[in-house]
Amino acid sequence: MSTLQFLADGFAVALQWQNLLFALVGVIIGTAVGVLPGIGPMSGVALLIPVTATITAGLPTEAAATSSIILLAGVYYGAMYGGSTTSILLNTPGESSSVVTTLDGYQMAKQGRAGSALSIAAIGSFCAGVVALLGLILLANPLSKLALKFGPAEYFSLMLLGLAAVSGLAGRSITKALIMTVLGLMLGTVGIDAVSGIERFTFGQPMLFSGIEFLTIAVGLFALGEVFKTILEKEEEDGQLAKINRVLPTKQDLKDSAVPIARGSLLGFFIGVLPGAGATLASFFSYITEKKFSKTPEQFGKGHIAGVAGPESANNAASGGAMIPLLTLGIPGSGTTAILMGALIMYNIQPGPLLFDEHPQVAWGLIASMFIGNLMLLALNMPLVRIFAKIIETPKKYLLPIIIAISIFGVYAVQFATFDLFLLVACGVLGYLFAKNDYPVAPLVLALVLGPMIENNMRRALTISNGDFSIFITKPLSLLFLVVAISWLLIPLIMKIRGKNVLINEEG
Amino acid sequence: MSYTFDKTFSITLLALSILFIFQATQISDSAYGSTVGPKIFPLGLGIILGLLSLQLFYESWKKAVRERVTGGPTTSSKISSTELKKFLIILGSALAYVFFLEKIGYMITTFLFLCISFQTMERTKLIYSIIIAAGFSLGVYYLFTSLLGGSLPSFPIF
Repeated sequence: MSTLQFLADGFAVALQWQNLLFALVGVIIGTAVGVLPGIGPMSGVALLIPVTATITAGLPTEAAATSSIILLAGVYYGAMYGGSTTSILLNTPGESSSVVTTLDGYQMAKQGRAGSALSIAAIGSFCAGVVALLGLILLANPLSKLALKFGPAEYFSLMLLGLAAVSGLAGRSITKALIMTVLGLMLGTVGIDAVSGIERFTFGQPMLFSGIEFLTIAVGLFALGEVFKTILEKEEEDGQLAKINRVLPTKQDLKDSAVPIARGSLLGFFIGVLPGAGATLASFFSYITEKKFSKTPEQFGKGHIAGVAGPESANNAASGGAMIPLLTLGIPGSGTTAILMGALIMYNIQPGPLLFDEHPQVAWGLIASMFIGNLMLLALNMPLVRIFAKIIETPKKYLLPIIIAISIFGVYAVQFATFDLFLLVACGVLGYLFAKNDYPVAPLVLALVLGPMIENNMRRALTISNGDFSIFITKPLSLLFLVVAISWLLIPLIMKIRGKNVLINEEG
Repeated sequence: MSYTFDKTFSITLLALSILFIFQATQISDSAYGSTVGPKIFPLGLGIILGLLSLQLFYESWKKAVRERVTGGPTTSSKISSTELKKFLIILGSALAYVFFLEKIGYMITTFLFLCISFQTMERTKLIYSIIIAAGFSLGVYYLFTSLLGGSLPSFPIF
């Protein structure tokens, strides 16, 4: 079957009524998550995994996986869009990926052009979503064909590359990022070893036999960690909500932003495909590029529409691009995609080159639903932007305890064990401490997801080579991955020593 | 930012890595004659973590010294005691919630937890807090058990 045929099947899956509903709910919740400061895309997605797992419990596994991944992906790109709303209206970015949008977006709102800024952001996000989708369709088949030729040694090195990329860009200190990565890998070794059936680090406790549940750790570190942070560090209530006069952009605005949207989409897409570099970096790069290409660079920072259109397209394109390594290679490049991967694995569906052969319904259904979801976002956000802006007024008094209650309910509904709940609360406290002291949490979660696979591939490769470690450097592709991995860690280090500023990706 | 956290954490990590390495050597070997058993990977991780914790200790020590010399920025975002008290009450009630969940049921514990935390966050409008807490706990329970067919501990088992 050709790619087009698969895509058509994908649309057939995505257009089933329950999947349309899931996509709709996903993008609405995602937009809300994006608007609310305090919950980012990562904690939003982590928080919804148990909820979707219970909702889809009645469906057959594959359909359940498709529906829930459609919802979760909707949350992911919905949040990317929602973050821009508060940047423009309140000068408070809902996510780190829309920090740049505040520069020109808020200025535009002050001039009474909030409506144009918001709708350009929506249109830009939509175009970016379509570009990412086209990229996904074009690259999915060749990449997964290539990945099928990989042996265990290549996989091992590729996964190390993924980890190195995320750690290298994750925080201010590479040492801290690496520590978090190793801690994640260590957590992954707890439980019964899949190859030999021997128990490791369980101390005879039966609840540790199946390993430490990724979901508990992710919800604890991200969702609870952020809640605790908001309780402890009171943020100043700021700013008047800017008024929205007209929602549709003027012809001049559309003309001015067409090229930045196209550039931002392409740039964002390629940055998104790279592991480690995510939406935040993409939006920064796009802003810098637009400023460089603009005929009137002095207008930037004073409400130039290109300063909204470019970065907003870039961050959405990046979140679409980040799906490519996840779906085709089985290697998540960021914290959020690591969580999506964990969700797929919970349904016993292994992302990677075989995904397109074994579960075309899941892969292509998701791809098609991303297109539909983006369309929904555009249709929803133009008329409903005023309502979404209201979400920011939800009192924290009720919001924060309810997030705790949802986390506890969600983990209990999936795990049925009080042990996991205690672990959840402990992870929440740790998540706060880590974030406060600049320890990036995303590498830990990524390592926890990838850890068992890295170990299995390493041992398989070593079994092939009879315990000879040189197999990792004698295979050319594997060597290439390792060299790239090492340079990913070393180059920022060298640049730092030379006193250059290194852009870091805080969103993960 | 405090470097004391980094220092304490690095020492904790070092202890953890030693413990981890020790535990890893206790893992029994594979039953069959595979060259790479379940030991190697954890052992390697333990060693790497040990090295990284030393590096972290060195880095934080160096920064602490540099700050002492320059008298540099020691401004850390102080958490006010009222916020800390709020946090501790909510954390404590979350732990109690988790502890009693299976013993006295989902609805009662959730309701109590939400009431306490709502009122801790802001001591106003008790009646709203009670309504929202009751709505959430009943709503989640009935949606989950009757519509989705899940099971939650319902009422105290006496």
